Amino acid sequence: MGIMLTLFLLPIIASVFTLLLPFERVHYFISASVLVILSASAFLLYSSPEIVTFQLSHIMNLLVVVADIILLLYFLYQGIKFKSGNVILLSVVQLLLYGYVESIAPIAGSAEIVVDNLSKFMFLIINGVGGIIVLYAVRYMRDEAVSATKKSLFIAGLLLFISIMNLIVCANSILLFFLLFEMTTLASYLLISFRNDPLSRANGLKALWMNQIGGVVILVAALVAIEGFGTVMFDTLLKSSGGMVLFTVALLAMSALVKGASLPFEGWLLGAMVAPTPVSAMLHSATMVKIAPYLILKLAPVLGATLLGNFFSVMGALVFVAASYLALSRFVFKEILGYSTVALLGLMMALAAIGTKESMTLAMVLMVFHALSKALLFLSAGVLEKQYHVKSIEEMKGLVHRAPKTVGFILFGFVSLTLPPFGLFMGKLLAITSISSLLRERPILLIVVLSLVIGSALLVLLYFKVASAILSSPCDIHPSEKEYLPYGFSIPLWLLTLYSIAVSLGFILLQKNLFIAWLALPLLVVILLPSMVTRMEQYDRIQPYHCGEKELFDAALVYYEPSIRVRQMIYWSFGMLFVAVAFIGVLS
Amino acid sequence: MTWIWILLAPLLGGLIYGGERVLRARMQRRQGPPLLQPFYDMFKLLDKRTLIIHAPHALLAVAHFLVLWFTIAAIFLGWNLLTIIFLHLFAQILLILAGYSVLSVYSHLGSNRELLMVVAYEPILIVVAVGFYLISGSFEISTILQGGGYWHQLPLLFVALLIIVPIKVKKSPFDVGEAHQEIVGGIEIEYSGVFYEFLYMSRFLEYIFIYSFVFLFGGESYWLGAVLVAGTFLVVNLVDNATARVHTADMLKIVYGVAMSLAIINLVGVLL
Repeated sequence: MGIMLTLFLLPIIASVFTLLLPFERVHYFISASVLVILSASAFLLYSSPEIVTFQLSHIMNLLVVVADIILLLYFLYQGIKFKSGNVILLSVVQLLLYGYVESIAPIAGSAEIVVDNLSKFMFLIINGVGGIIVLYAVRYMRDEAVSATKKSLFIAGLLLFISIMNLIVCANSILLFFLLFEMTTLASYLLISFRNDPLSRANGLKALWMNQIGGVVILVAALVAIEGFGTVMFDTLLKSSGGMVLFTVALLAMSALVKGASLPFEGWLLGAMVAPTPVSAMLHSATMVKIAPYLILKLAPVLGATLLGNFFSVMGALVFVAASYLALSRFVFKEILGYSTVALLGLMMALAAIGTKESMTLAMVLMVFHALSKALLFLSAGVLEKQYHVKSIEEMKGLVHRAPKTVGFILFGFVSLTLPPFGLFMGKLLAITSISSLLRERPILLIVVLSLVIGSALLVLLYFKVASAILSSPCDIHPSEKEYLPYGFSIPLWLLTLYSIAVSLGFILLQKNLFIAWLALPLLVVILLPSMVTRMEQYDRIQPYHCGEKELFDAALVYYEPSIRVRQMIYWSFGMLFVAVAFIGVLS
Repeated sequence: MTWIWILLAPLLGGLIYGGERVLRARMQRRQGPPLLQPFYDMFKLLDKRTLIIHAPHALLAVAHFLVLWFTIAAIFLGWNLLTIIFLHLFAQILLILAGYSVLSVYSHLGSNRELLMVVAYEPILIVVAVGFYLISGSFEISTILQGGGYWHQLPLLFVALLIIVPIKVKKSPFDVGEAHQEIVGGIEIEYSGVFYEFLYMSRFLEYIFIYSFVFLFGGESYWLGAVLVAGTFLVVNLVDNATARVHTADMLKIVYGVAMSLAIINLVGVLL
């Protein structure tokens, strides 16, 4: 219990201190100690088997209601202030729905907060990766052209966000989940519009109204749950049987699709890339969007092997392919990362929705490794932005010569997302095996296998296309420049790298399969490579062949741009699939 | 015994490569090089002065060769087919990174095309593996080779594999990776001497890699497997002599349009 309170309260206390003491050194100290304490607590909690439940008192429940209403009114106010019709409409709808739901909601039920194994697992990701991102944010904000107060606010905001995330993954009441869901929406909105220019503002509002759709469907789900089963608790709902369970589950799954920025909602996540990089890393790749696969995992016991479960996993798999494909037309590095996050979230949801024990474990494996690798990549993108002022991959050509260390981290990120023996690859490998074994009983999953295979190939193309831009370096007659990478940047990057190596090795050992351990061998080649670079003085150097041209010219990068018609078709079909989730929920 | 085969794999691949050159020469009614030409080339290359652009570039070629060899060893040892496909992907990525690591336009072009080739053939390879799994119940090569009946239960999948074999052995109509003189050898352009030799030997190993997939269709009957390999070998070279190179984009369209559809039809047929 004490440990759990640490997870919820420590970030809040730390954020207060961050605001009170706006000095960089203090911020370093606070974020580093928060990182250590939180990850240690999460780890301790993970290794203890007990399941903790906690019932909110009457006053606390009242506070939740008040907070909810204030939040929704704030959204309404923002909608009116910035004249966004969508936001106003959705806020009003939510206020009315919420008022009605709260008026008929049953007073007593089971505990509102339940910390089960899934929550403990989420704690590991949220606190481990989130803590590192906060540490990085301290150095990142130094170069941001804003006042000292705003910098402190930013870091305090990130810390508060960790606390919200820790709460949301153990919310057992749909209404509490709704409040926290809306709070993550609020965090998205505030942090995306942090820079306060017109573009940031517009993208912030976009994120706001799109996520509000998620809020609306959660409220409808709560309504159905109360009408049908007289409960707002996840555990009671998932245990009950009868016609409307799947409809409720379908509605909740729809909110996961919105939060996971699945097509056609990926617009808000891409727009979020205008925010400072720690925000992109924290909210839009490592932690917040993981609510989507988390929620599906929570619902999976009901979803699996039903028509709805099959439909949902097919849809997730299609999102995986479509988002990987759409990413090929992008040239801003963070947008590329954003699209690949959308794609992989689709895959995780697909695996979770299949609902076998094995596929759910694999979805969790993908979540951990995706969080680590994506955080690493986003933070490296932030370094490039701050130190070298490059954002587009076209400007990154030959970057390895100027920034060998950062490029090394980026390359490691790509490798850890695609190749053996790293976790993401292992997850995909085992996923193909696991789904293939289900094919005879559920032939529809063939679509999932095919999408998994094609989407992975497209992602390889995507990542190594970026690598092509950053890698090209001239003949080493002139040694490359020494890169200055401040500790504030390099320590978080190293931590993430070491984490992902350690977790990968741990995962391989857990397989208890010697064959798979052999897969780690090719890694040795890579590890040995830098040490083998003794410059090889015994061989003479030569300049690359340029076919007699005096002017240096460069090969173009690979882009695939779907025509506007194809693009619209993709959006419409995914929009229809999204609505179809609800219909299938009603039918089954 | 298996270990000896593994050690001899590059030599075996070299013989296949030499044999292929003889066969193609006969098809074109010319004398052609002797069977052992790849090995004569090897001695010549070892004798040449080695020039490099920078050390990582040269070493990546060596790493590519070693990982590929490891992949072939995994095939001979009868490992998991998916593992083998991904190890091969790893080897290929090392080569692609090598091509990208120099400031040379031809090398980059070659790497771009190599990457697109991976995108084209890799899904088909995995789908073929899934096909084997559906029939035999295992991804392990050793188990697959104990079963039978792949040939008549997965005919369309075999055709799909046949379509991607030319990509892997760089034969028309899908020889975009080196494209003869059009992109002056692509990735290979910046290698010379001993490091070029490693790339040259990797090509031998690629032959073994892709033809072992063909061999697997024979199942427990090694004779059938051998016949299939020989037949494929002939067909691929015939097609090579009879067709012109297609665009890289068209190659992707053909593989995804034709080969993938065939594979899907076959798998759906097996499942229903």
